Amino acid sequence: MDRRYFLGTLGALAAYPSIGNATNLNKAEIVVVGGGYGGATAAKYLRLFSNNTAKVTLIEPNAQFISCPLSNLVVGGSRSIGDLTSSYANLKTRHGVKVIKDYVASIDRDKKTLKLSSGTTVKFDKLILSPGVSMMTDKIEGLASANQMGATIQAWKAGTDTVALHQQLAAMTDGGVFAISIPLAPYRCPPGPYERACQVASYFKKYKPKSKILVLDANQDIVSKAALFKKAWAEEYPGMIEYRPQFNVTEVDGKTKTIKFEVQEDIKADVLNILPPMRAGDIAVNAGIANANGRWAEVNFLNFESTSAKDIHVLGDSIQIAPLMPKSGHMANSHAKVAAAAIVAELNGWDINPAPVLTNTCYSFIDSQQVVHVASVHQYNAAEKTFKTVAGSGGLSKEPSILEGVYAWGWAKNIWADTLG
Amino acid sequence: MNFKKYMSFRAIAITFFSCLCFNVSVTAQTRSAQDLYQRSLAATCANCHGTDGKGQENASMPKIDQLTSEQLLTQLKAFKSGARTGTIMPQLAKGYTDEQMQTIADYLGKKQ
Repeated sequence: MDRRYFLGTLGALAAYPSIGNATNLNKAEIVVVGGGYGGATAAKYLRLFSNNTAKVTLIEPNAQFISCPLSNLVVGGSRSIGDLTSSYANLKTRHGVKVIKDYVASIDRDKKTLKLSSGTTVKFDKLILSPGVSMMTDKIEGLASANQMGATIQAWKAGTDTVALHQQLAAMTDGGVFAISIPLAPYRCPPGPYERACQVASYFKKYKPKSKILVLDANQDIVSKAALFKKAWAEEYPGMIEYRPQFNVTEVDGKTKTIKFEVQEDIKADVLNILPPMRAGDIAVNAGIANANGRWAEVNFLNFESTSAKDIHVLGDSIQIAPLMPKSGHMANSHAKVAAAAIVAELNGWDINPAPVLTNTCYSFIDSQQVVHVASVHQYNAAEKTFKTVAGSGGLSKEPSILEGVYAWGWAKNIWADTLG
Repeated sequence: MNFKKYMSFRAIAITFFSCLCFNVSVTAQTRSAQDLYQRSLAATCANCHGTDGKGQENASMPKIDQLTSEQLLTQLKAFKSGARTGTIMPQLAKGYTDEQMQTIADYLGKKQ
């Protein structure tokens, strides 16, 4: 007998009230902090997976969602920030998520409450933290003051800084130097700095062809899509991009626009994009959830529950990653679905899925149209209690193509809708 | 024990235990637990192809909810075996077991 038919038959025979903890699902206050790729997806899928019965609140300080993926195109000037902006309206009207525009100031883990900047207290039974990353500005001497005076901009969270960085490039004299520094991995969006170099080069090639780009990398080599980026730099932008590995920034002087390193000579540039080391978002660190070297949150990969706090789940860039798991928007969306399913199962009194699956797809634009990708599939490994990539799966583009540029925008439209629509 | 077998075993065990002892329904529980598994596995496709395979207009990705389960499974297997070429899909398909592909195709495929 077909298994589903068998189960369906059993179901049809039964006409009894529900058992288990289904009422827990209806009563539980589930609060999601952070409306990025992880948090917004979690809020939506908690509603979908519970047949719209779970009570879900999303707390997000920004009025609109702005995608970090593709935001390097804004830095390069081929797209506007409006092209990457979406509303939270559908989460409210279509999916019944309560959206609060506010900032979480603190978490009381014992009382299971959140204190918001507005002064409001919010109670939770289940909490999902998806706060992204915070910049460890204090790890680079002088960076905080350089940021303050506008001499350096990270633009590693899409928004006004992304636009401001493009404006600095636009104001730079032809023949100037753009320097981007990259911290040791892990950091948000492994290929992002190299894609940014491509986008700035694409802009320079068109408008400021005498200008140069320095890629100052603390890592030993390009962290992601190395061969593809090196080939693109050599063929698309010959002589324009200089890559320097093992350049670890220790200090920056905003007044003289000088970068200092552990070993090498100082470097001066006209536009400075200094990316410091990163860690989990402030709220996770302040709540004591970042229990991996004080930087990242360790989680149980079956449900993304913090290993240090029951009923607090952590998603996206804030977690201590599994092997070969990138800190990406696509991956955060994938985390969210596993966590949402596990929470719905738990509150229903069901065993959670012992074999979840994650995917990752990441497109990088090497100019305004041509794209390269990296993709991977991560299956849960029960013996090692972590996700592992499947041997023989995943991979990279063979070469940049306009076709993948079309797919990249298709991916964006669909993942934005999957996250928010 | 893989998840489908595990869920079947668990469903049967809970069904008989519940019917005999607690006089309560297992309809929603067993169906929804299985649905939840199917739906969460199928959701791994949604990042690129849209929620429940319903992609956006002009998004350039195939609208996989428009395929029957059989058509969907055939394509997934072709990507996995290398019979069908592509950019991302041949790489991702190799990461799924045949059983997972069947589950995804069953869930997302257009209902006749």
